[in-house]
Parts: sequence; C-alpha cells; structure tokens
Amino acid sequence: MRYWQETWAVAQRILTELVRRRRSLIFWCIFPVTILWLNGLILAERAQLTNAQAFEAAAPGTLVGAALFFSCLGGSVATVVAEREQRTLKRLFMSPLSGLSYFLGIFVAHGVIALGQSLIVGAIASFTGATFQGMVLGGLIISLSVIAYVGVGFILGTQFARRTEDVNALVAAFGVPLLILGGAFLPTRFFPQVLLDIAQFNPVYHMTEALTGVVAEGKSMEEIGNHCIFLAIFAVGVTIAGWLSYRRMLQVERRL
Amino acid sequence: MLAIKNLSKRFGTGNCLALDDLSLSLVPGEIYGLLGPNGAGKSTTINLICNLLRPDAGTVQIGGLPASDATKRLVGVAPQENLLYPSLTCAENLDFFARIYGLDRLERQQRVARCLELVNLGDRAHSPAETLSGGMQRRLSMAIALIHQPKLIILDEPTTGLDIEARYEIWQLIRRLQSEGATVLLTTHLLEEAERLCQRIGILRQGKLLAEGSQAELRCWVEAEQIAVVEVSDPRQTEAAIACARDLGYSIRYYGSDLAFWLPQALDLRSFLAQFEGIDLAGATLQPIRLEHIYLEITRQAQVPTP
Repeated sequence: MRYWQETWAVAQRILTELVRRRRSLIFWCIFPVTILWLNGLILAERAQLTNAQAFEAAAPGTLVGAALFFSCLGGSVATVVAEREQRTLKRLFMSPLSGLSYFLGIFVAHGVIALGQSLIVGAIASFTGATFQGMVLGGLIISLSVIAYVGVGFILGTQFARRTEDVNALVAAFGVPLLILGGAFLPTRFFPQVLLDIAQFNPVYHMTEALTGVVAEGKSMEEIGNHCIFLAIFAVGVTIAGWLSYRRMLQVERRL
Repeated sequence: MLAIKNLSKRFGTGNCLALDDLSLSLVPGEIYGLLGPNGAGKSTTINLICNLLRPDAGTVQIGGLPASDATKRLVGVAPQENLLYPSLTCAENLDFFARIYGLDRLERQQRVARCLELVNLGDRAHSPAETLSGGMQRRLSMAIALIHQPKLIILDEPTTGLDIEARYEIWQLIRRLQSEGATVLLTTHLLEEAERLCQRIGILRQGKLLAEGSQAELRCWVEAEQIAVVEVSDPRQTEAAIACARDLGYSIRYYGSDLAFWLPQALDLRSFLAQFEGIDLAGATLQPIRLEHIYLEITRQAQVPTP
C-alpha cells in the first residue's frame, strides 16, 4: 500500500508537470505522427504497397522508435535531470520515498504517455485503413519496451546526465544509431547481413521485430518468442541496474 | 527531542574534520539556534540528523530513536534553497509531499489547507510555485517541512537572501510555530535572527561547539556592562586612548577596524568622554552587550593559540 501510494504520487506529479508545461507532450505527439506519415508514404511508394499495408508496416517501428524511445527513455532521463537541476531530488532524499517507488512512479507516468502515443499512432494508421492484430500480445511487448526504455533512462539519468544539455547529447549519441540499427525508421529487411548480426544485440531491434510480427503480420507468441525472451531479460536487467544506479546516486548525492 | 552526543564526521581525501565531538540537545518546544560562519559544520549536522550521512563517531537520537530512515517522518526540514516543483501549484506541492509521507486523502486535504493558512498562502493555493515571490517561495518551502506534522523542525538559514519585509514574515512564522508547540533547530549566520528568536544558542566553528546556552548565560563571556566604540583622529591619539583605557581598567577590543572598550559599569556618554579629557576623540558610541559582541569574543578566544 505504501509503495503504491508513493508510486502514484510520483507518477501523478510527473504527469501534472507535463500537462502544465504542455510543450513536451505536444512534441511527443507531433514527432511520431510525422514519422508515421513519412514512413507510410515512403513504404507505399517504394515497396508498391497499399496505404493500409504501408501504415500497418510503418506503425510498430514508428511507435517503438519515434514515440516510446523519446518519451520513455528521453523523458525518464529528463525527469531525473530536472529533479537534480531544480534540486528537488535532495528534498526527496530527506523524505521516506523509496527508490523502488520512485522508479515505478517514473515507469507508470511514462507508461500512461506510451498508452496515449500508442492510441494516436494506432488511430492515425487505422484512418488509412490499416488493421492491427494481437492486441494483448502487442500490449505486452509495448509494456516490456516501456520498462526497458525507462530502465535505461533511469541509469543514464542517475549516472551520466548531469545537466539538461546532457540529455540531448546522450539521446543523440546512443539513441539515434540504436534506433536506426533497430529498424525503427528503416525496415530491417534492407539491412546487410553484418548489420543484422549486430542488431541481434540491440533491444530496439527486438522491440520492432516482435511488435511488427504480432500487430502487423499476426504472428503468434511461439514465432516471436525469442524476441520476447530477449526483451524480458533486458527489461529485468536494466531494472536491476537502474535500482543499483539509484542506490549509487543516493550514496554520492544524498546530502543537502 | 533531539540528542546529539560526541558526533564526529570527516570528509574527503584530506580527511578534513567537519564535525569534532559535537554534543547538543533540544528540549520540546524550544528554538535552538546553531550559529556559525560558512563551513562551520551546520549543514553537516543537518545531514547527520536527517540520516543523509553516517557519522564517523557519536550518536544522533530523535524522539528517543537513533537517526535512521524510520526517523525521517519525525523531522521536517526547510533547506536553505527553495526546493519546489515550479510548475505545480502551492497546494499540489504540499499534496505531493503529503502523499510521500503517507497521509490519507482526508488528512491531506486538512493538512494542505492548514499549512497554507499557517504560512499565509491560503489565497495562493492554486498559484504555481514559480509565480511566487522569493519570500512566498520560502514560506511554501517551510510549509512543505510542516506537512507531515514533524516533531522536530529544522530551518536551515531560513531568511538568507530575503529582503527585510520577507525576513520579518519568516520570523513571525517561526514564532507562531513555537507558540503551537514546535521544536525548532535553526541554523543561521545572522546574529540578529538568533538573538530575536532563539531560547538557546550554540556557537559552532570549524566543527566544534565553542559555547552553548541562553543569551543570559552566554553573556558571561563578555565581562562588561557596556561597550564603548570610539573613533580617534590619528594613530598617536589612538595610542593615547588605549593607554588611558588601560589605566581605567577597561578591556580593549577591535571589532573589525572599530576600537572598543569594555566598561565594567554603565556610564552616560558625558561621563565616559570626561574620562578621556585631553585626548582628541572624533566620536564615541555606547552600546549594550549584544550577541555579536559575545559571538566575536567566543570566536576570538577560540583563535588564541594555547601555549
């Protein structure tokens, strides 16, 4: 009960701040919508697909790469860095808030944003005639992706990003290559074998492959099992690493 | 309420001693002022009370319990800076921390309203924190420290950086807290603040508690009834004035560049000046013994090397 109350308090606070400031929320809507239109139109033209087929194929990668990545990973880093810059993190250290509740609060807040982004991307794709399958399994993959992104964001925010400028640099330096290598913007079938081999170690690749397989191609759990296992292990791993990072941040920064 | 015994803490590779065998205690309902310059160890003391740091030696007890995560609920801290969520309203800031401290919905509503009223921000409940003036932000920061009804309130330099009006508002609030039974540990380097608010004062310097007591008790450090600050026209006259003061049995001190004599008995200005007849004094003022004189004397004696 205590953890839930703390978790919801953190989540609600983050969401209230985002709604109050509006700017991030607007950009987190505009960016995936733009990428979805561009990817859909390019695929329809170059792969000789109908609009519906093209948007079905483009939507999962767009959701994973252009929506969840920036809101959940970038947003988590920004949340921690903003707390550090406005020094409210110190006030939280003095309170009985547990590290687990803090992590879960960030996860829930960005999970809500991810849900909103999923609905927007899905609605726009559906408007062009795209249909999606495997909603339950798709929901599971999206949840694993959000955990993985928030976990990585938590590690980067607590350990590496000291100031707001660092968020941009970190996302650009690590994020964009991972997104491209993960097939978020360019389908992996166009990749040379060497890049495909490297992509096996990229969680974004497993997110896009699993989500595309389920919602666009109607694949079953057995067919995308390997991607889900990788994602689940990765999500658990970064959650543990995120917890350890928070503990380390406490040791280093926990004083007035 | 708070008992600190033989507390020591070292920092860094140089093993710099931040606190050296500090012992002090606060009784319920009092305001205790911890006075000291920057780097004296005031913030380290707060960090140790809040269990943000572990001591190298000694103990901290709050309400009879050793400082730990469990005692965080007993302590409310208003830090030196206003640590607020700028885009949240005053009520939302308070509500967030009330949730973190585990208050239920009804308690939260009551405490948020009560704390806003206490710090005179009732009419700004729905204003974002970033739209408040510096003084209002400081009061909101203090309200956050009070939201969970702590047994011990720590105010770290509560009026630093505030204008005189905002300072008076904060002092009024602190008095109000005391009238409602709060126990307050106030750290400050403003002597006037300590003089106005605190029942007992501890003077901390380089991690050591040099002296402690009520203002009346601390007054024994200055063996005088009055202090005369004199202005002298030239160095030769200064020497003459000092020699005369010595003959009269006055102790001599410099407060900054001001020459001062300790008078064992109170005098009026005319009688005082009559004692220095023949010496060209450009000016003289007679002052009662104030906390600044006591503070300067205590720190001066601490600086005198022991043989």
